Amino acid sequence: MDNNNVNLPPGFRFYPSDEDLVVHFLHRKAALLPCHPDVIPDLELYPYDPWELDGKALAEGKRWYFYSRRTQHRNTKNGYWTTVGIEEPVLTSSQHRVGLKNYLEFYFGEAPAGLKTNWIMEEFRLSDSSASSSSRSSSKTRKHKKDYSKWVVCRVYERNCDDDDGGAAELSCLDEVFLSLDDLDEISLPN
Amino acid sequence: MTQSMSISVNGQSQVPPGFRFHPTEEELLHYYLKKKVSYEKIDLDVIRDVDLNKLEPWDIQERCRIGTTPQNDWYFFSHKDKKYPTGTRTNRATAAGFWKATGRDKVIYSNGKRIGMRKTLVFYKGRAPHGQKSDWIMHEYRLDDNTADTNVSNVMGEATQEEGWVVCRTFKKKNLHKTLDSPLSASSITAETRTSQMFSSFSEGALDQILQHMGRTRKEENEADIINNGRFLRPIDTASSNSYNDRFMKLPSLESPNSTSSQSQSCYQAMITDNEDSITNQVGCTNPNPVYPIDSRPTNWAALDRLVASQLNGQSETSRQLACLNDPAMAYYTLPNHHDVQLPNLRSSFSLPSSRSYHGNQDFNSSDVDLWNFATRSSSPDQICHESNPSI
Repeated sequence: MDNNNVNLPPGFRFYPSDEDLVVHFLHRKAALLPCHPDVIPDLELYPYDPWELDGKALAEGKRWYFYSRRTQHRNTKNGYWTTVGIEEPVLTSSQHRVGLKNYLEFYFGEAPAGLKTNWIMEEFRLSDSSASSSSRSSSKTRKHKKDYSKWVVCRVYERNCDDDDGGAAELSCLDEVFLSLDDLDEISLPN
Repeated sequence: MTQSMSISVNGQSQVPPGFRFHPTEEELLHYYLKKKVSYEKIDLDVIRDVDLNKLEPWDIQERCRIGTTPQNDWYFFSHKDKKYPTGTRTNRATAAGFWKATGRDKVIYSNGKRIGMRKTLVFYKGRAPHGQKSDWIMHEYRLDDNTADTNVSNVMGEATQEEGWVVCRTFKKKNLHKTLDSPLSASSITAETRTSQMFSSFSEGALDQILQHMGRTRKEENEADIINNGRFLRPIDTASSNSYNDRFMKLPSLESPNSTSSQSQSCYQAMITDNEDSITNQVGCTNPNPVYPIDSRPTNWAALDRLVASQLNGQSETSRQLACLNDPAMAYYTLPNHHDVQLPNLRSSFSLPSSRSYHGNQDFNSSDVDLWNFATRSSSPDQICHESNPSI
């Protein structure tokens, strides 16, 4: 991974929560504040296909991160992104709404007859309320709301290729089965 | 790194935003635990020592916090002590309960080399044998005895299995059937829903018994074998899901061939169990001397065979139809455990038109039997998908 100038021991990885992405990265980027560490590159509206992101976007595991701009038509060389039509609010741990998350799917070919792929993009943008609150708190001089809302930060991944972090901080299905077998043991023990 | 560097300086986390401690199993073993057993200083003091007998699982998270970001799992070193001076068992009891091992130990590999083992433990509240199972899970990693190259472990010899330093990860178990956490998963077949479909597609009782049997008799067996089996069977999984498979397979893919996650692996594990039982049953009826996997103990498999046959009796009609699948089909059976063994092309081997018709055992006659070129078995899953299309 391109850790930029992040100097951390082995095992530390870029695993931002949605809140991290909005609060620490998008917010600062939009407010033209320096991001430290400045790890997420700005790919603007370059028409990269999702499989081209490696080496251009910040890669961690099988997820890619980059800044972009809001746009209605996100076309690439060999396909296009289409919104799923669901927008979720991004909330802080204190349930404060800081942004919006939009899901897009990648279609291979030409719209509208493209073939749906497993590539997913999560596009984060600042919600209007958070933009205004930030202009209130951080920089009173900025009055152009459009500057805030044109930036997005994107997380791209392939849906069915499960995130293989190697750590497996979850039980595998097999472990789950063994776990339930332990119950059977206890039930059958008295006999 | 500076010596005074700590994960938290004046209450300020030294971990930049967006970064989390998310080590791979290899990093845990090869970097952290190796340093620990050879008394080397570890940067940032990321992994702390915990006396498992003194801390309850819910207290561990406070002690093992890294920075200020919310965590789902916690890491620590623990020194294993024997429960009794003469025995080999480890004492893992706390004031409120005890940790109990479950399943079988998993071998951890690094670049194809065995580097350690992982034990899975569950926390029970209360006292054995009347403990109440909790959602707290621990993965306990130990270095492999032969690979630990320091003198320390050599002196201890075999005792290192149950004594010495281990590195652990605790986390709270989520439910097997995760709630759909994104709107996308509702419209798509995710690993989780695939699993549940598979679990419901055949008798759960049968699966439990089979897995229990396997768990009891093949406990120390290495899970990587199963992973290979799963990869081998992947075409069955994907064949019915997407009619565009053929075209997508040609797309450039960033996915590495080794990227199957533990979750999908175990899904495939469930599949191969299912397939094994069918095959065992079918061929058991037609072939008096089935060929068992080369490295397995025949008695275990014979017992499994009997068990499965008793579960699936009443299907002997269809089994007889399968007489056309004679010996070469069993060669398929021997493959998965020894993927490096070179076998000749098996022209008369079969592939399965789709999982559905296979599970149902309906209309499974010779006209449905496709050729399956086994020479492709060592290629990537994507290629196998491609090859398994009926257009060969």
